[in-house]
Amino acid sequence: MKKFVALLLAAIMLLGMASAFAEAEKPTLTLWCIATESDANRPAYEKAIAAVEESLGVKIEWEAFENQSYKTKIKAAMADPSTLPDIFFTWAGAFCGDFAAQGNVFCLNDAYQAYKDELPEVMMQNASYGENKDHYAVPLTMNIVALFANMDLLAQAGWDKIPETYEDLIKCCDDLVAAGIIPFGCAGSETWCVTEYLEPMILKTIGYEALNKIFAGEGTWNDEAIAKAVDTFQSMITKGYFDPDGLALGNDQVKANFIAGKTAFYQNGSWNCGEINDAEGNFKVAMFPVLDAEKATYAQVIGGPSDSLAVAATAADTELAAKVAFELGKEICHYGYLAGSGLPAWTPYYDTADVKPLVSEVAAMVAAADGMVLFGDTAMSADPANIYLDYVSKVYGCEIDGAGFIDGLSSQLQ
Amino acid sequence: MKKTLTYRLHIFLFLLPALILFIGILIAPIIMSLIYSFCDFSSISGADMKYVGFDNYKTLFSSMLTNPNTGKMFVNDKYMGNALGNALALAVLSVFIQLPLALIIALKLSKGIRGERAYLSIFFMPVLISTVIIGRLWMNIYDPGEGGLLNAALRALGIDKWLFPAISGGIRSSKLPFTGQWTGFRETALIAAFVPILWQYVGYHMLLMYAGIKGVPKDLLEAAQLDGCTEGQVNRHIIIPYIKPILRVSVIFAVTGSLKSFDLVYALMKDTSKAELPSTLMYKLLFLHNSYGLGSAIAVVLIVLCFIFALLISLAFKDRGEKVA
Amino acid sequence: MNEVRKFKPSNIIVHLLLIVLVVINLFPLYWMLTFSLKTNDEILGHSYVDEATGERIRVEPNRVGLPKHWEWSNYSEAMNTGNMGQYFINSLVVAVLVILITLIASFMATYALTRLVWKGRKFMNKFFMLGLTIPIHAAIVPVYVILSRMKLLNTYAALIFPYAAFALSMGILISIGFMGDIPYDLDEAAFLDGCGVWGIFCRVIFPLMMPAVATVGIYTFLQCWNELLFATIFVSAGKYRTLPVGVQQLFGQYTTRWGPIGAALSIATLPTIIVYIFLSKRIQDSFIAGAVKG
Repeated sequence: MKKFVALLLAAIMLLGMASAFAEAEKPTLTLWCIATESDANRPAYEKAIAAVEESLGVKIEWEAFENQSYKTKIKAAMADPSTLPDIFFTWAGAFCGDFAAQGNVFCLNDAYQAYKDELPEVMMQNASYGENKDHYAVPLTMNIVALFANMDLLAQAGWDKIPETYEDLIKCCDDLVAAGIIPFGCAGSETWCVTEYLEPMILKTIGYEALNKIFAGEGTWNDEAIAKAVDTFQSMITKGYFDPDGLALGNDQVKANFIAGKTAFYQNGSWNCGEINDAEGNFKVAMFPVLDAEKATYAQVIGGPSDSLAVAATAADTELAAKVAFELGKEICHYGYLAGSGLPAWTPYYDTADVKPLVSEVAAMVAAADGMVLFGDTAMSADPANIYLDYVSKVYGCEIDGAGFIDGLSSQLQ
Repeated sequence: MKKTLTYRLHIFLFLLPALILFIGILIAPIIMSLIYSFCDFSSISGADMKYVGFDNYKTLFSSMLTNPNTGKMFVNDKYMGNALGNALALAVLSVFIQLPLALIIALKLSKGIRGERAYLSIFFMPVLISTVIIGRLWMNIYDPGEGGLLNAALRALGIDKWLFPAISGGIRSSKLPFTGQWTGFRETALIAAFVPILWQYVGYHMLLMYAGIKGVPKDLLEAAQLDGCTEGQVNRHIIIPYIKPILRVSVIFAVTGSLKSFDLVYALMKDTSKAELPSTLMYKLLFLHNSYGLGSAIAVVLIVLCFIFALLISLAFKDRGEKVA
Repeated sequence: MNEVRKFKPSNIIVHLLLIVLVVINLFPLYWMLTFSLKTNDEILGHSYVDEATGERIRVEPNRVGLPKHWEWSNYSEAMNTGNMGQYFINSLVVAVLVILITLIASFMATYALTRLVWKGRKFMNKFFMLGLTIPIHAAIVPVYVILSRMKLLNTYAALIFPYAAFALSMGILISIGFMGDIPYDLDEAAFLDGCGVWGIFCRVIFPLMMPAVATVGIYTFLQCWNELLFATIFVSAGKYRTLPVGVQQLFGQYTTRWGPIGAALSIATLPTIIVYIFLSKRIQDSFIAGAVKG
């Protein structure tokens, strides 16, 4: 027993020492991100990190965490900023804003000066806070919500293009149902997937200016038009346009069902473009049609740059970390755009002829966009965002109707 | 005098390792949680902490709140009642289904049935499997798609045709029809989460009880048999009263375990709100809402409840024990 | 009673019921092993076009049967991308050290609580028993802050100390039962031989507490082996990640592919089960001892 314990302790000590004597010549930076092996962005991260290590002569030690547990992890790390890595992944909007307000994020205003020709300032906006709109995070890619369609299934129902008006969409859904095809798939066990349907519908009912105000906490949820949008969404569910299994499925399953031809449409982030483009089948992309033409236009979109890298205020060498963050941002954007896991927040400096067709179609939509609203759960700070998500989940489960939605949110989010 | 002093020092030294661990990692944090529970702060470092008195507890225990701006009443989504109700339901199921089942098996096995050891080993096995793994395994059992085992079995047996509509009729929370989405509705999700929790720990309680029964003195049993007692009478009048202390431990573990239950719901569901338990609500308020005060208040409520239940159960067992004696 | 084992018809019914329970207990494990060796096509059913006849052939899903093609590649995939071996070793290191610390701390405390006479030891005993009812998750935020102040995050210690602290109450409860069985005469004899309290503890009590080692060890093991939340939050570096976190992480990676998921589940489960099969009698006996003494 004693020998065993002694051996064990010795082994642990050796392990600890071995890691302490690792190479120490190059400056080493630590990075936390969510690009796990299954993440669409993983290859982009791998290539970008290799490229930046080469060009700046640094060593980047990086760890990838599963999305949900990462949120917990990064918040817990803020309790003691000394446990933060030098550079960390963050969502723009209020998520990063909370950290910046705590003084844990290094301000990037100075470092940005060297990159302002390649990275338009408008792309930095979602992670700019305070009176001076100081910049706190480097955007990687930007994404919008897009409506993906399986054209083979649409053809079976007699449609050769994606409907562009709401009336046509309903007709198309009826035709699909008549042909025994489920129109939509939506993951009920991950509420952000429900917002990918609900937010565009609210947007196309009340317009981007009103929705932006609401998400910023300046407008009110108490708006009959929102209730009407919610009721419209629910009527599509109760009419059987949505795969009933979706209520208990996760996003990956729903996406797999769409790619396998089980549902005709799938509305989700543009980061799926690459994967859907490469899948076997005939896929096209469009946007959700307008519900109220007086207030909204077809070209208004939900989305914007959100995936970002931030530098910890406690980083050993904040200047270097900031530089590495910008270079990484640029390269992840580069490889991510080519792979179709996101649209460029940075102006491409490379040949874009190889960009996948679905990706360039969505890029064109962004270029033509006449109004943009950041994803609701990113725009709002943690507490209101999660109350909002709870209500969205209740909408998808048909536990409350539009009136209950606006009533609850307007009284909880004052 | 000097001698008693060194004696005291020795006592202190013997207790020291346990005290450091216990106070440093259990007691101090709980006192900190208690303090946090009277504050409101959304930055985990506590930079924006402010004292709010009992506001957090009020939020947790009022099902309706008044909007201070408009005076209108609204449903409070941070109401702890539902989660607590779910945990108590789990405790009841645990005490009245899981424990009796464990007791019956333990009674049968301890009578020296063929293959006693093998049965014992198999029934205890689920206790050793990680809850994350059990959660994932049951997620696949409940899968509403092609691979889902439960629905495939129900379809093969033709039960789905009348069971699914019957469940639909029983679902009050939603207007949607039930077509096999076990984790999709509040009512079914709760049951779906309870089944594996109860399943996993039957073996744990069974082994505890089995151990107690094996400890019943042989002569007591033989005397009873000579008196012509039936198996049922022996069980009722000799074995069960004898293993009362173990039953007490089992009941305490089952009840406090239900109140504390977290892992399985967390592992089984991405969105725990459909089968909310106090611990999952606490986790959500702490790490999703960044409401550290509210989350700490739940922690305090849980600790107090666990403590009260443990005390009540002990008292209940003591009373009856004395009456029997 | 064991020697009289008459044939009774009621026994058959009892066996039948027990076998039903056995099936309920083992089926999920069996099912996990089978789907870990299948492809999605086999589990979910698929169709293909026959080259020769041009007909579309539908293959029915094979959900619970043995695999038709044994897809061992699922295992290498889970092993290579998942790093399961490393996580397994981490879990083992943590568990062994937690057991060790719990044993020493609870034996020492128990000695002071039962063999040494002093005012307030009953109260102290009750104080330690508080730990039996406290939910481990209730203290997560303050424990995190304490660990970070002590610079212990991202080390084995970040898990070892909290686990040991939470296992302590049970450890003391069991140890009190065992230590009560050691005759006081031995203490006195050692005292007359000139041993002090430490001498008695080290030379008399400790060696005689060996049966308690296995029991406390098993209860402690059950408590810390499967813990998920602390392990997720207190340790971020991959090289210290424990098995439950690793498994959870892997689920994020193969959400829709049943084979590698099943393989990962099996890799995480089988070692424990195999050890259990070999040692089941001893493990049960120790567990039982704990129940009786506690």
